[in-house]
Amino acid sequence: MIPESLKKTLEARVASAITAREAAVDVMKELQAHYGWLTDEAVGEAASLLGLSPLQVEELATFYEMIYRRPVGKKVIHVCDSISCWCVDCEGIIEHLKKKLGVGLGETTADGMFTLLPCCCMGMCGDGPAMSVGDVPYGKLTPELVDEILEMERQKA
Amino acid sequence: MPKLIIDDIPVEVAPGTSVLEAARSVGITIPHFCYHPALAIAAACRLCAVKLLDGPVKGIQMSCALPAQDGMVVSTTDPEALRMRQLVIEWLMMNHPHDCPVCDEGGECLLQDFTIAGGHSRRRYQGKKRTFQNQYLGETIHHEMNRCIECYRCVRFYQDYAGGTDFGVTGSAGRVYFGRFKEGALESPFSGNLVDICPTGVFTDKTGRFRARYWDYEFAPSVCQHCSVGCNTAPQNFQRETIKIVGRRNDQVNGWFICDRARFDKGYLNDPQRPREARLDGATCGYEDAIDAAAKAIGKFVAQNGAESLAFVASSRLSLEGMTLLAQLARTVDGARLCYFGDGAELAGSVAAARLLHEKNSAYLRDIEKAECIALYSLDLMEEGPMLALAVRKAFLAGAQIYLVDGDPIPAKQKLPFTFTAVANLDEVPFEGGGRGVVIAGAGKKDADLLDQLASGGAKLVMLQPGPNAMAGGLLTLEFGGEAFSELASAGKIKGVVCFEADLPDGLTADVEVLACADWRNSAAAVKAPVFLPTTTWVESDGTAINYEGRAQRFRRTRVSGLPLKGLDSKYYGSAADAAAEHPPRVHRKEIPGGAERDAWRVMAQLIERLGGRTIEEPLTGRWSKLKDLDPEGEGVRVFNLLQGDPRTEP
Ligand code: SF4
Ligand code: SF4
Ligand code: FES
Ligand code: FES
Repeated sequence: MIPESLKKTLEARVASAITAREAAVDVMKELQAHYGWLTDEAVGEAASLLGLSPLQVEELATFYEMIYRRPVGKKVIHVCDSISCWCVDCEGIIEHLKKKLGVGLGETTADGMFTLLPCCCMGMCGDGPAMSVGDVPYGKLTPELVDEILEMERQKA
Repeated sequence: MPKLIIDDIPVEVAPGTSVLEAARSVGITIPHFCYHPALAIAAACRLCAVKLLDGPVKGIQMSCALPAQDGMVVSTTDPEALRMRQLVIEWLMMNHPHDCPVCDEGGECLLQDFTIAGGHSRRRYQGKKRTFQNQYLGETIHHEMNRCIECYRCVRFYQDYAGGTDFGVTGSAGRVYFGRFKEGALESPFSGNLVDICPTGVFTDKTGRFRARYWDYEFAPSVCQHCSVGCNTAPQNFQRETIKIVGRRNDQVNGWFICDRARFDKGYLNDPQRPREARLDGATCGYEDAIDAAAKAIGKFVAQNGAESLAFVASSRLSLEGMTLLAQLARTVDGARLCYFGDGAELAGSVAAARLLHEKNSAYLRDIEKAECIALYSLDLMEEGPMLALAVRKAFLAGAQIYLVDGDPIPAKQKLPFTFTAVANLDEVPFEGGGRGVVIAGAGKKDADLLDQLASGGAKLVMLQPGPNAMAGGLLTLEFGGEAFSELASAGKIKGVVCFEADLPDGLTADVEVLACADWRNSAAAVKAPVFLPTTTWVESDGTAINYEGRAQRFRRTRVSGLPLKGLDSKYYGSAADAAAEHPPRVHRKEIPGGAERDAWRVMAQLIERLGGRTIEEPLTGRWSKLKDLDPEGEGVRVFNLLQGDPRTEP
C-alpha cells in the first residue's frame, strides 16, 4: 500500500500526461523508490493508476533496465559489457567487482548494500570501462578505482 | 499507381502496397514470418529480404516494410538476398528446439517450411539454447515458449486487433517473452486465433494436440453453425472425429479469424452418445423401416385428426436444403402446418429481417468496419455475434462513435473491445446525414414501431438472428406461410408434430403427440418420439446457410458420419466375445459403425415420396435453384437480388 500523498502525486502526474502510458516510467520509478523495487503489489498499483492491465505494466517494467522486478540492494551497480568497454577489458573489471563484492552477476551482497548487474552500452564508450552505482556514472575504471568508488559509495549510503 | 519490376515481371499496384504484397499479387511468395495481412507491419523477423537492383532505393531491403515505388527493380532470388534469408533462419534456429517430430505444429509450421526452403541444415553455433518456463493458459491453448521466433504476431493480434489486455510481450533482447502476467486462462474470447496466427508451435490447440498430423486430416470448406454471422472455418477430422477447427479466410464475412466458440465448441460433434441409429418404439431398426413407420404414422394421424392439426417443425439448425424440403413435405401432406421457429418472438424478429432487409440497407462486415457511427441496439454482441465485435473495434479505432442503445448492462466478463456511450433510445444517436451509420440489432425485442424506425433511418442495418440459419427460416416463413410452434401449441391448434432438428421447449410438447423426430441431438422430442431418424450434422453434410446479412454460403461435408474410431466400443471389433480388443476392427464390414445418419433433407425427400409426392433429387428448386452451384470456397452470395418472384413486401 502506498501512502495517500504519494498516490495523489502520481495521480496528478498521470493526469498531466497526454496518454497514460507516457507517465508509466515516472510512476514505476516513484513506486520503486517507495518499495525499494517494483513489487507485484506495485505493478498492480501502477496498473490502476495508469488504467492499464498488470500485464501491460509488466511489459514496460521488464523492458527497462533500471526498473527492478526483484529485490535489489541499496545501490545497484550497472557495469557495461558492450563492445567498446569489452575492447578495454570490461571483463577484468567485472571479475574484479565479483571478487571484491563476493557475488555473481545478478546477486546482492550479504549486507544488502550492492546488487551487481551487467548492462548495455551506457553512452560512455570514450571513457570505458564504465559503470554506474546508484545514479552516478563512473568511467576509465581500474581495479583500484573500483575499490575506491565502492568504499566511497558505502560511506555515502 | 507505382509500377515496378519484380523478378522480371512488371507489376502495377495501388499506392501504399508493400513490395512483399506486390510480389504476392503476381504469385511470388517472399518468405515471411512477422508479416500478416490483417496486422500492422512490424518488420521484426527480417526474413523477407529482397535485393533492389535499381530505382529509388538499392540493396537489401525488408520487402514487407518497403512501399512499392515507381522504377523499382526487385530481385527475390539474388544470391545476396538468398544468403541473408538463410542467415536469418540460422539465427532463429539458434535457440529453437530441433524436435519437430514431437511438436504438435510439425507439418503445418511456417518455420519448418522456411527452414527447409532456406537451405539451413547444419548448426554452427556451439552455445546453449535459451530456454523459458511455459505458462498455463487455460484448457484450450497450450504454451511452449521455447519455440518462439519473436515475430510479434500474437501480441499484435491479441492486443491491437482483438483488444485483449491480459496477454502480451515482456522482457527485452534475448529474454523477450510472450505470455501473461501470471498463469491463468486467457481472457479474450478470440484467444484461439493465436493457434492459427503463430507461425511456429508456441500456441497449439490443447483440445486436439497429438491426435493427427496435418496430412492425416480430412478437411473441407465449412461455415460455423454457432451464430448467424456464418464465419468460414475448416474442421480438421481424423478417423471420423473432428480434432480441430481452424479459421478460413472470407473477407466479406469474418476476415481471417474466428471466435473461440467456433473453434473449441465441437465436443457434441464427436459425442459417442449422439443418437446414431434409427429407432422404432425404443428398439433399433433399419433406416428404411423407420421411414416407412413415420410415413404410416403421418398418414394415420392425418386421416384421424385432419392435416391442419399436424405441424412439421424445424429450427435454425436445419440447412436451407432441409428448410425448403420441409415446406414441400408440409405441402405434400395437404394443409399441414409449417414451423421454422419454436418461439413466436424469434419468428417475428427473423421475419422482420427477411422483410426489411434488402441489398442496399443490409450491412456486412466492411460496412461495419468503415462506419462512422454505430448503434448497438439492445443486444448481447459477444453472445449473438462475437466476430462483429472485432469489426466494431476496427471502426472504433478509426474514430467511429459507438452507442449502446437501451441495452442491458454488459457483464464485466464480457468486456467489449471498444468503448461506447450508453443512451436510452435511438433518437439520441447522431447519425449525421445517414452517411456511414450502422445499427446492429439483436435477435430479441423488436416491436413494429422500432422496426419502422430502424428501416426508415439512413443507417444500414444488421439484424442478428437467433440461430445460424434463422435468416433462411425468416425468408421461407414469408414464402410458405410458416407459423411459430409455441403459438400453435398454446392455442391448442395442433395435436401432432413431426420434428426435424427442432429445438422445442419441454413444456410445449407435453400435450402434443410427437409422431416422428429426425435429429442429431438427443432432444426431448427425440426421446419421446416412437420413430426416430438420426441425421448428420453440418460437418458430415453438404448444405447451405444464410447469415444475418442475407448471404448464402455453402458448406461441404468434411468427413463421413459414424462413431469416431477412437474409443470405439469393442462390440464393433472382431467379435463380441473378445471383450477388450486393443486394436480397431480388423474385420471388413460394409457399414461404418454408427454411420446410419442421413442428411435431414434426404430423409424428407424419402418421406415425400412415401406420402405420394414426387421423387426429389435436388433440394434447391424454384427461386432457390440459383444457389445450386454456390462455390464453397467463394465469398457466398447475397440472396436479395437473386430471389425472383420475391414475395416480400418492399420496405
Ligand atoms: S515449431 Fe515448427 S520448426 Fe519448431 S519444432 Fe515445431 S514444427 Fe518444428
Ligand atoms: S509466440 Fe509465436 S506469434 Fe508470438 S512472437 Fe513468438 S513465434 Fe511469433
Ligand atoms: S560500450 Fe560501454 S559505455 Fe558504450
Ligand atoms: S516479414 Fe518482413 S521483417 Fe518479418
